[in-house]
Amino acid sequence: MDLNRISLGLLLLLAAGCAAPRPGTITGTPPTFPPEAFITQRATLTARGRQFTLNGYVARSERGGLRLIVTENFGNVLADLLVRPDGSTTVARSSRAFRPGWISNYMASDLKCIFGASPDPGCVLAIPTADHFIIERRWYRLDLRTVEVKPGPQPSQLFEVVEPGKP
Amino acid sequence: MKTLLSIAATCVALSSFAADETPLRPITDPAPILQDLQRKMSTLRSVALDFTQERHLKLFTEPLKSEGVMLIQQPDLIRWETTSPYESILLGSQKSVAQFERTDGNWKKLKLGFPQMLKRVMDQMVLMHQGKLDALMSDFTISVATGSVAVLTLVPKDAKVRSMLASLEVRMLPDFSATKEVIMHEPGGDFTRIIFRREQRDVTLPAATFDQTRPEAISTIRKALGDGP
Repeated sequence: MDLNRISLGLLLLLAAGCAAPRPGTITGTPPTFPPEAFITQRATLTARGRQFTLNGYVARSERGGLRLIVTENFGNVLADLLVRPDGSTTVARSSRAFRPGWISNYMASDLKCIFGASPDPGCVLAIPTADHFIIERRWYRLDLRTVEVKPGPQPSQLFEVVEPGKP
Repeated sequence: MKTLLSIAATCVALSSFAADETPLRPITDPAPILQDLQRKMSTLRSVALDFTQERHLKLFTEPLKSEGVMLIQQPDLIRWETTSPYESILLGSQKSVAQFERTDGNWKKLKLGFPQMLKRVMDQMVLMHQGKLDALMSDFTISVATGSVAVLTLVPKDAKVRSMLASLEVRMLPDFSATKEVIMHEPGGDFTRIIFRREQRDVTLPAATFDQTRPEAISTIRKALGDGP
């Protein structure tokens, strides 16, 4: 799996290196998530014709922002990201698959795009149904499904400032 | 990660668990026990069981849970299927691996990134199922403790692996006849617990259970196992 992560990271890095930003567009009706909720999502990431499955766990707080944990099939954490209400981000954990720069740039952008928190101009999002999101970038495609939404307040510590690398 | 699934498989192949706080007594020389396990494993033709995987992260108050089914059949076939909260199938044989995702009611075969890595995992799982513990012992320092439960603790020999997986606990029945739980500890305190249940041995599975083009539906497999629809 180490090699797998290294290779995925390299693949994404190489792909990102030759890409240019595209104007942001959102097609479909954005769903309304509860302002306070814990959301589980399943994604297929396609890069250069290869596909990787990921699990995303998003804690959402109206006042605190968004906290995203991304894991691979068997639970290993690949990325941990905090997006504050003002759109600023902190990468709490990265991995060989997803490097800090990639998480703070692309993963954060995708997260904001889906949850409507300060979406950036690079966001190209299709929403075929309320629980289905497709993010298309020149170098990857993220097909993402919401599989579970648990409404309710999230622990405040999830949204406190985290020191990078110290989840 | 390469070890996680394979260890889960190993543990099942090795053999079920009763949580108990009774102090455990370390076994000075685990070799005879491991040899006995190896002997028992090698006679298994197939195994089917349900699992619940709990991902415990310090960050979250509740574990992240998923559920599924694991099937292993001699000589080299394995199926790891997640049934909730999403549906996904991983299939492996000595020759190849495949992954399917179910969306909008349809199964889609993925164009796997780096299938050789997944194949390696599957190969290891099958080796374990065949009772070849030698491979495990070359990668881990294994200790055994017994009491009202039996616990195998595996610590990776490779420092790089240890930086991701501090240790792995296999919790079994006191007589080592079955594995019921595997706990994978990470250096930072997070851990993953895989709880196995409804283990069935030497079952006859539908022919397409491990088909990497069109795998049999889990409902059909369950019916064949006598689990009903």
